[in-house]
Amino acid sequence: MVNLLPIATTVLAALLSIEPLHIGGYAALTPAFTLMATYHWTIYRPDLLPAPSLFMIGTAQDLLSGGLPGVTAVTLLLARAIVLTHRHYFIDRLFPFVWAGFTLLTGVAMLFLWALHSLLAAEFLDLREPVFHAVLTISVFPVASFLLGRSQRALIGAD
Amino acid sequence: MRIPQARRAAIERISFPLLIVISAVMIIVGKADQVAFQSLRTAVMDAAAPALDMLSRPAAFVDAAADRAWGIIAVYRENARLAEENERLLGWQRLALRLSAENAQLHDLSKLVSEPSTSFVTARVIADSGGAYARSVMVNAGRDNGVARGQAAMTGEGLVGRVSEVGSRAARILLITDLNSRVPVIVEGTRQRAILAGDNSTRPSLRYVDAGTAIRIGDRIVTSGQGGVFPPGLPVGIVASVDGETVRVEPYAALSRVDYLRLVDYGLADALPIPLSIATRGGKRADSGAAVLPPRR
Repeated sequence: MVNLLPIATTVLAALLSIEPLHIGGYAALTPAFTLMATYHWTIYRPDLLPAPSLFMIGTAQDLLSGGLPGVTAVTLLLARAIVLTHRHYFIDRLFPFVWAGFTLLTGVAMLFLWALHSLLAAEFLDLREPVFHAVLTISVFPVASFLLGRSQRALIGAD
Repeated sequence: MRIPQARRAAIERISFPLLIVISAVMIIVGKADQVAFQSLRTAVMDAAAPALDMLSRPAAFVDAAADRAWGIIAVYRENARLAEENERLLGWQRLALRLSAENAQLHDLSKLVSEPSTSFVTARVIADSGGAYARSVMVNAGRDNGVARGQAAMTGEGLVGRVSEVGSRAARILLITDLNSRVPVIVEGTRQRAILAGDNSTRPSLRYVDAGTAIRIGDRIVTSGQGGVFPPGLPVGIVASVDGETVRVEPYAALSRVDYLRLVDYGLADALPIPLSIATRGGKRADSGAAVLPPRR
C-alpha cells in the first residue's frame, strides 16, 4: 500500500498545480509541482512511478486545467526519460547537486514547452512568463524535495 | 509484488515510446479538433470536481479571512470612501431612473421587441489553468445548476469570459485573456466595431479596427452583440494603451484573482449557429453579420 506513495504524491502535485490561490497573477506562475514529484521519484524510486502512471497523471492534469491533452504527459515522460538515464549521478549526492540537476531539467522543460506552444500557436509566444514560472519552480523545489524525502524515508525507504 | 528487474526494463523500453507517440497524437488531434476531447474532458472534470471543491476551500477560507482582517483594519477609511461613492452613485441612480423611463417610452414609440429576461447562477472558482499557456478557470456549477455553454461569465465589474465546457456539476470558463478568446466588441460612444483578442497577457488587444479610427486611452469597450454569443452592452474594459496599431484593453474585472463568478443566461444560446469552440477560433469567426432577434415573449 505504501508503495503507492509516489503516485499519490504526484496526483496531489497535479491537483495543487490547478489549485486557485486568489493571488493576482499566481495562476500563470504556479510552480510545476508535478515536475518536482517526477524528478524526485525518478531519482529515488523510478520503479514506483512508472511511465504509464505518469502519462495518466499528466493527461488528467491537462484535461482538468483546460490545456491541450498530451502536453503535460509528454513533458513529464521526457523529463522522466532524461532523469532516468542520469539518475546514478544524483543518488547519494548532496542536496545542492540534486537542486542543480532540477534547475537544468526545469530550464529544458520550460524551453520545450515554450517551443511546443509557439509551434502550435504558429507565433513566438512571450518568454517572460515561462521564465518567471521556471524561477519560481526552482525556488520552491527545496521545500517539495524536503517533504517528499521525509515521506519517502518514513514510509518506503530506498530501492 | 515485485516485478523482476529484466521484465521491468522490458516494460519500460516498450511503454515509453508508445506513450510518447500516444501523447503526440493526442496533441495533434486536440489541436486540430477542439471538440475531440470534450466528453472526456467533462467526464474528468465532473469526477474531480468534488475533490477540487474540497481542496480549494482552505485557500478560499484564508483569502476570506485575510479580507475580513484587512476590512477591520481599514473600516474607517473604507466607510469614508463608501459614503463618498454612495453620494456619487445616487447621482447615477437618478440619471439611470430618468433614462430608464425615457428608454421605456422610446421602446413604446418604436415598437421594439423587448430583451429576453435574464437569469444567473453564482459559482465558485475551484481550479485554474495553472500554467503560462492557457487562461481558464473551472467553477463548481454545471448543467444540473442551469449552466449552459455560451453563457457570459461576469463579476460585478465586467465580463470575465464565457462558458466553454459544461459537465453535470462543473464548468470551464474561457477567460477573455486566453489565446483562443475572441469577443466582438464596440468602442462605446462610436460605431467602431472590433474583435477583442486574448493573447495570454493581462491585457487583450483590439483587432480589425478600421484604419484611421481615433481610439483614445480611457475609451470604454463593451460587447457589440454581433455573432449572438453575448448580448450588446456588457462592460468589458477600458483602453489602456494605444501604440500605433496595437490597442490594448484593461479588463474591468480582476481576472487573475476571481473567486466567485456570475454565469448569466441571456437566452441567446439558441442563437449560436455552430459549436462555440469552432465559432471563436482565431479570426475565423463564422460571423455572417446577420442581426439576431431575441425570441418573442
